[in-house]
Amino acid sequence: MIGCFEKILKQFVLLISLLGLLGCAPRVQRSPVGLLSSNQQEPALSGDGTKLALIVNRNGRPTVQLQEVKTGRIIQLRQLSRYQPHSSPSLSWNGRYLALIVQRRNRRMPIIEDRLMGRVHELLVPQERIPIRLSLSPTASQLAIQVAHKGKWRIEFFDMSDKLEPDQPISNRGSSIFENIN
Amino acid sequence: MGIKLFLTIYFAFFLGGCSAYSMRPIYSLNNIFSAADSYREPYNAGRWLAALVNYNGKEKIELVDLRLKKLVPLPGINRQDSRPISVAVTADGQRIAFIRQRSDQTELMIYRRSLRTLQRIELSPKGIPQRLSLDGIGKVLAVQVSRNGRLDIDLVRIEI
Repeated sequence: MIGCFEKILKQFVLLISLLGLLGCAPRVQRSPVGLLSSNQQEPALSGDGTKLALIVNRNGRPTVQLQEVKTGRIIQLRQLSRYQPHSSPSLSWNGRYLALIVQRRNRRMPIIEDRLMGRVHELLVPQERIPIRLSLSPTASQLAIQVAHKGKWRIEFFDMSDKLEPDQPISNRGSSIFENIN
Repeated sequence: MGIKLFLTIYFAFFLGGCSAYSMRPIYSLNNIFSAADSYREPYNAGRWLAALVNYNGKEKIELVDLRLKKLVPLPGINRQDSRPISVAVTADGQRIAFIRQRSDQTELMIYRRSLRTLQRIELSPKGIPQRLSLDGIGKVLAVQVSRNGRLDIDLVRIEI
């Protein structure tokens, strides 16, 4: 009788464990515009996970596209068409700032679009450095750039705090997650 | 009237919308990244920076605490038989998502620092993950996936 009870108990525990594991399994879904556009590359989520920047091929040119994660609605970026081709997009926490690397004449340069103010900041990297990839901190206070310099790849940090207003979580202003690093 | 209109349009389109800015390097942070042969794929989560770092031809994932300006140990994340391809970290530095190549397989993984555990994420339909991005909380993962010569972005929702 006791052996039977133990067997049932073991089976119950196993079932609960399996259900728990299933509950934790990540759910995969395709990007809402996945079936419409071909060759989507270089995804970049905003810190709050509501916006997605990616590179799509538009008229043969790599072009950044910004969309809402939930609905797939494409958000217009009016300032960036004269800077193509685009690469390495990066978003701040709420997606106010979109940083990316562009080609201007024969030079690669980082730029940041402030979507709230409708401004584009062209950023000059120190001489002899070629920007390869970049990553904006969630608050937009600093920018990390992978540069090619003297035949090596390096990561260099740049202070943006005197240029850009902080883009902090709306419900979390002053949170310890976003300590000032500088 | 014509000249005024021309000047207005000129300033609005060519000068008003942008400005060139010489960025100020943060030398105290730049000095951290000088020991290895190369550093690439920075993922800047504010206090935390994840990157792929090459020592003597062997690439591995590193996490740097930018406030304390020191490396954070990641036991179990780097393996001799695998090569990392892309990495991302949450704003609290607790979760690291990465893609690694191991023998003939390309794997999408999540590492939880507090538990020191690795979890493999399966893509459906199957494909080859190439690059990823993680939101600040660690609930959404965006992955560039190659399928039959086409590149898609998959969104993966992760239960916390």
